[in-house]
Amino acid sequence: MNKPLSQRIVFWTLVIISILTLSAPTFVVLGASFTSGNMIQFPPEGFSFKWYGKILGEPDLRDAFFRSLQVALICVLVSLPTGTLAGIALAKYKIKGSNLIQTYLLLPFTIPLIGSGIGLMLFFGEMRILGNLWPVGIATSVINLPFMIWAVRSSAIGLDPDLELAAENCGAGPIQTFFNVTLPAVTPGVITGSLLMFILSLNEFLVSLLLVDARIVTLPVQIYNSIRSIITPDLAAISVVFIAVAIIAITVLDKLVGLEIFMKSK
Amino acid sequence: MRNSTSSYPFIWRVMDLLENGFSMIWPKGAGKYTPYLMLAPAILLVGTLAVGLFYIGDSSLRTLDRSTFQFSEDWSLENYQRAFSESFTWTIIWRSLLGSIIVTVITVSLAFPYAYVMVRTNNSYLRKFLLIALFLPFFIGQVVRAYGWLIILGNQGIVNDALSLVGVDPIRLLFNYPAVLFGLVQYMLPFGVLMLAPALTAIPDEIEAAAGNLGASWLNTMRYVVLPMARPGLIGAGIVVLTLSLTDFAMPAILGGGSQDFIANAIYDQFFRTSDQGFGAALAMILVALGSMMVGLIFMIFGAGTLALSSEEQ
Repeated sequence: MNKPLSQRIVFWTLVIISILTLSAPTFVVLGASFTSGNMIQFPPEGFSFKWYGKILGEPDLRDAFFRSLQVALICVLVSLPTGTLAGIALAKYKIKGSNLIQTYLLLPFTIPLIGSGIGLMLFFGEMRILGNLWPVGIATSVINLPFMIWAVRSSAIGLDPDLELAAENCGAGPIQTFFNVTLPAVTPGVITGSLLMFILSLNEFLVSLLLVDARIVTLPVQIYNSIRSIITPDLAAISVVFIAVAIIAITVLDKLVGLEIFMKSK
Repeated sequence: MRNSTSSYPFIWRVMDLLENGFSMIWPKGAGKYTPYLMLAPAILLVGTLAVGLFYIGDSSLRTLDRSTFQFSEDWSLENYQRAFSESFTWTIIWRSLLGSIIVTVITVSLAFPYAYVMVRTNNSYLRKFLLIALFLPFFIGQVVRAYGWLIILGNQGIVNDALSLVGVDPIRLLFNYPAVLFGLVQYMLPFGVLMLAPALTAIPDEIEAAAGNLGASWLNTMRYVVLPMARPGLIGAGIVVLTLSLTDFAMPAILGGGSQDFIANAIYDQFFRTSDQGFGAALAMILVALGSMMVGLIFMIFGAGTLALSSEEQ
């Protein structure tokens, strides 16, 4: 970047403020989880893994984590086929009323989360399925679905329609063409989308809070309930699970499609 | 010589079975409806939200009888009248609106240089670092991030511990309006940058160089060249940040400590503390309307065709 010095100073000052604000909570949670004291304090009181050992013995936190994992898996199972089909359809075909359909499919983003959550709570309550984990999975899939559609759609746009015609010329039916030509071509998008869905569902707080009861709290809700009473380092240790999952997801995403994909215009 | 199809590989037979099955329920003539068939699951899934909205609308028209704790059979607008006549509603609407506007201005001002440096730098390691610094908090979730701020800013938090080392009395940094706004800015920053970056990528660096060659200072280049060209991205970022912070629940709940409720918190309280589902539903409808109105207002002032909605457009 060959910009004037004054511009670089101004921009870099703001960027450094942003980096510090973005990273501070992550590092503080990481640091707090390794404390050997019983309180979170500064300067930290020695180094130990004792709080990690402690969370292994806390069934509440452990169960909540596995519930969150289950919710995230259900979310991916539901949104992967749904979003992939929709993304391909939107990229490949000229659809009558496509503007209306797109506006409709963006409802999960335009309706405030609290509205979506309460609406689903009333709906699922009426269907008498509240109190299970799978409706939570479906709900997180609904509210994040545009991410999945967007990811698949942007990689399906690059697909040359001639490839599919060639497959059909060689005698492949629509199903075979779909599985052997179309789907492999959009795989990067499917992977990006599924990863986003998994992470967002694992972290989903508000909709979980509305749809779970005391028996099936997910991890973000469990953490929320606990920080309102007292802040102990075991919460920091369990939060590190989220940080670890995030690091894995970013690494996978970067290796498979490259993070730079998010900087390109579609 | 093969004399029957049974000697074909298993996967071929599965494929044939699928093809035949599919052509039976979906004959060639239906081909032009194929995209609709592919969209159907997504439309159904999002349909649950539409049904949910209907239930909220229905609840919002039923009033709670405080003697029997039953909801009325007939519809009335009483909940809405009550919402608009109580000063409590106006307080939280004002607090949320003002907060989301301040958060949007700060977030976009921070997101713009961040996205700009990320896009313009020639150093690929720096770019990667900036992307990771952005995605890490984005992927960690709101509750854990808010928890981090509790550790930093709390009364026994890091900042106050550090201050006490130099003999300064603890300052109350949490559970006030600025703390909530600060948390929201931190939460929204990745959204802002990710909405802005593609718009900045689309502006060739040569245009800036040309402006510079013609004698424009960098401030003028920004003001008259880059910002106008990045407008779709700025509007997109603005809309996303504005609507998400207007309707946020976690930051006001955790960093505001109950004293700085936004609309979402008030709705939650009506459902789970006061158990007045009708009034809560009316507040939810007002929030949906308020959010749509703000987006509409931005469209009217700055024009549509923004990144936010065109992200799904062909």
